[in-house]
Amino acid sequence: MAAPVKYTLSGVTRGWRRMERLWAGSLGSRSLSLATAPSNNRSPWRLLGALCLQRPPLISKALTPLQEEMAAVLRQIEIEQSLYSDHELRALDEAQRMAKKKADLYDDEQDEKDILLVQDLEDSWEQEFQKFKPGDRVTADKKNDRTSLHRKLDRNLVLLVREKLGDEDVWLLPQTEWQPGETLRGTAERTLGTLSENNMEAKFLGNAPCGHYKFKFPQALRTESNLGAKVFFFKALLLNGDFSQAGKKGHHVWVTKDELGDYLKPKYLTQVRKFLLDL
Amino acid sequence: MRAEPPRKKKKVDPKKDQAARDRLKKRIRKLEKASQELIPIEDFITPLKFLDKSRQRPQVELPFEESERRALLLKKWSVYKQQEHDMERDAIRAMLEAQQKALQELKLESPELYAEAIKRDPRLFPFEKEGPNYTPPISDYQPPEGRYNDITKVYTQVEFK
Repeated sequence: MAAPVKYTLSGVTRGWRRMERLWAGSLGSRSLSLATAPSNNRSPWRLLGALCLQRPPLISKALTPLQEEMAAVLRQIEIEQSLYSDHELRALDEAQRMAKKKADLYDDEQDEKDILLVQDLEDSWEQEFQKFKPGDRVTADKKNDRTSLHRKLDRNLVLLVREKLGDEDVWLLPQTEWQPGETLRGTAERTLGTLSENNMEAKFLGNAPCGHYKFKFPQALRTESNLGAKVFFFKALLLNGDFSQAGKKGHHVWVTKDELGDYLKPKYLTQVRKFLLDL
Repeated sequence: MRAEPPRKKKKVDPKKDQAARDRLKKRIRKLEKASQELIPIEDFITPLKFLDKSRQRPQVELPFEESERRALLLKKWSVYKQQEHDMERDAIRAMLEAQQKALQELKLESPELYAEAIKRDPRLFPFEKEGPNYTPPISDYQPPEGRYNDITKVYTQVEFK
């Protein structure tokens, strides 16, 4: 980010907007009042809007042993407390008739309903079930490819991007600078648009930010009214779509909450972990 | 026609008509009241075929170990559920705190952005999303073709005025 150049530009606009505000304050039109941002000339912090894009889980988690046991016991109890179903009654009748036939060796009850035994029905159902191949529960985990959306289908995945801040390459949640005239949520939406080139659709969860991170610039870059920056995170759920670019501009990664530690810096990490729900 | 004496029934006629109309309206109202049937809730009505005695399963006598195992399992389950609930509650509380702090910071920054952030989002609801299934969706799945007859009973209720 070309920090000094941007500062001078925004400084000029801020001065001009201050004049505008004096006679336009009472009108109260939304864009004007946002554009003025009078506190900007007092507060030394720059505003950044960041996007916490989450891919909700596609499959349910595997059950723990305790849950499995409990599920089995509940199923047992349900069978014990229930009435006989039609299928079961039919099975009982046929068992009785077979026992009678073997015992008496009479053929007075001709083969009325013996065309389809209960066992045959169950076998045919079983075969039909075997023919159906459901989707694989364990997918891209085999390759351990962290950039694909199909990994860890039972967890929430968050998008991380690698960007250059000054000199160093840093992993962080995608963010862009706030521009006067838009809300912070608008900034986050713009981030989404620039990242994916309008390929991804996301549902934003409200107007309010879910977390923030404050940091001060290193001494070299600090000026009087440019102490540091505040990043505000906005949550969004990914509905459909994926990255069109194959990692050209920056590198991107979809990670779960546990793997965040591999990528993010400690202070940033603590702030981000506060608003991520780990199921 | 000109030789007929004029008829003197003008006063009584409107009254009779009015009375006739009122009687008709009363009858209509009574009919409407009578036909006001409530829509039956099908879950609450046991079908008669399930009251058959031959359907009842014989009572299973659980061995002592089995019933003990079940009781212990239930106790473990309740402890597990309580822990789960505590974790969820703490997680939600942490998230809310983080959000409140972020809003405070935003307030310090600029009151207008704060006011914008507090506003309700009318486009958020109605929000529909299908939950996680047991297996992921198969790409290019061809569902089996066939027709079906929909036999759900649809009840209409007459509005009573």
